[in-house]
Amino acid sequence: MNFQQWSALMKEGFNVTSFVATYLCFLHVTNTYLFTHAWVYGPSMLPTFSVTGNLVLAERVSTRLGKVGRGDVVLIRSPQNPRKVVTKRLVGMEGDKITYVVDPKNSDRRETIVVPKGHVWIEGDNIYATSDSRKFGPVPYGLLHGRVFCKVSDLKSFMDCIFFSFLFFFL
Amino acid sequence: MGKWKTLAKAAIELAAIVAKFICLYHVTDSYLFSPTIVSGPSMLPTLNMTGDVILAEYVSHRLGKVGPGDVVLVRSPENPRKTISKRIVGMEGDTVTYLVDPNFSLRSRTIMVPKGHVWIQGDNMYASKDSRHYGPIPYGLILGKVFCR
Repeated sequence: MNFQQWSALMKEGFNVTSFVATYLCFLHVTNTYLFTHAWVYGPSMLPTFSVTGNLVLAERVSTRLGKVGRGDVVLIRSPQNPRKVVTKRLVGMEGDKITYVVDPKNSDRRETIVVPKGHVWIEGDNIYATSDSRKFGPVPYGLLHGRVFCKVSDLKSFMDCIFFSFLFFFL
Repeated sequence: MGKWKTLAKAAIELAAIVAKFICLYHVTDSYLFSPTIVSGPSMLPTLNMTGDVILAEYVSHRLGKVGPGDVVLVRSPENPRKTISKRIVGMEGDTVTYLVDPNFSLRSRTIMVPKGHVWIQGDNMYASKDSRHYGPIPYGLILGKVFCR
């Protein structure tokens, strides 16, 4: 192959690489700062999410602006395994007094705790089979990853999802 | 009409170049390394009280390669908008013995760092609010490792 062909090939390769890099960059920025998807599975959020798995859309704007509140389902980095991101419901913000059942499978004993500054209290919807703040205590706010706003079960719910998310962002 | 079109096209090209540059800078800033200014008395004599420029890299903590003795940037567990710099004294499973309040007494306590957490302390034990104050912090709050002052 002579030099001209080679240089044309290199130029083409560079163009393609640059295009792919730009696309990945754009995808990454959207994932980190706007919204992302997650596949949630496991029994801890029954009946909201099924055991075998649901695709959810989570937005990453509210956590940075401090606009998450009680009742939101959030993605949070696990305090026990930093490589895992878990899904739970935010039950208490800092300063709230939380009364929770310590071990519902074995007893009805309740305990009350005040959530310290800078922390949140998370619980799974299925309190019989979840490892959450009742086990590892209040979690620092800095571990919040995103807020789930949409569960995708089929095409119709997906379209509803997009519609409601637009309403949320622009109203 | 044609003039507007060429003008718009040139503007879009310029905007694209600027956007790509910002993107590249941001990726380096978040995932490779970036300079930061740290200030406060908690890391004397290692870091200045009035402010030091340091280079922090964001690769090791994702690979799990931070360990005891490293100075790290962590997100404060008391105020999630604040980033603080402290030294890692113990990883998960380590037993840490620390002076509870060296300003007032020589009393010390021993604690085992739970799974997924680290124990951080400032170099200046007399004026540092760290794990002796709010307990072991989850590994997920570590933002980066300081490697250069």
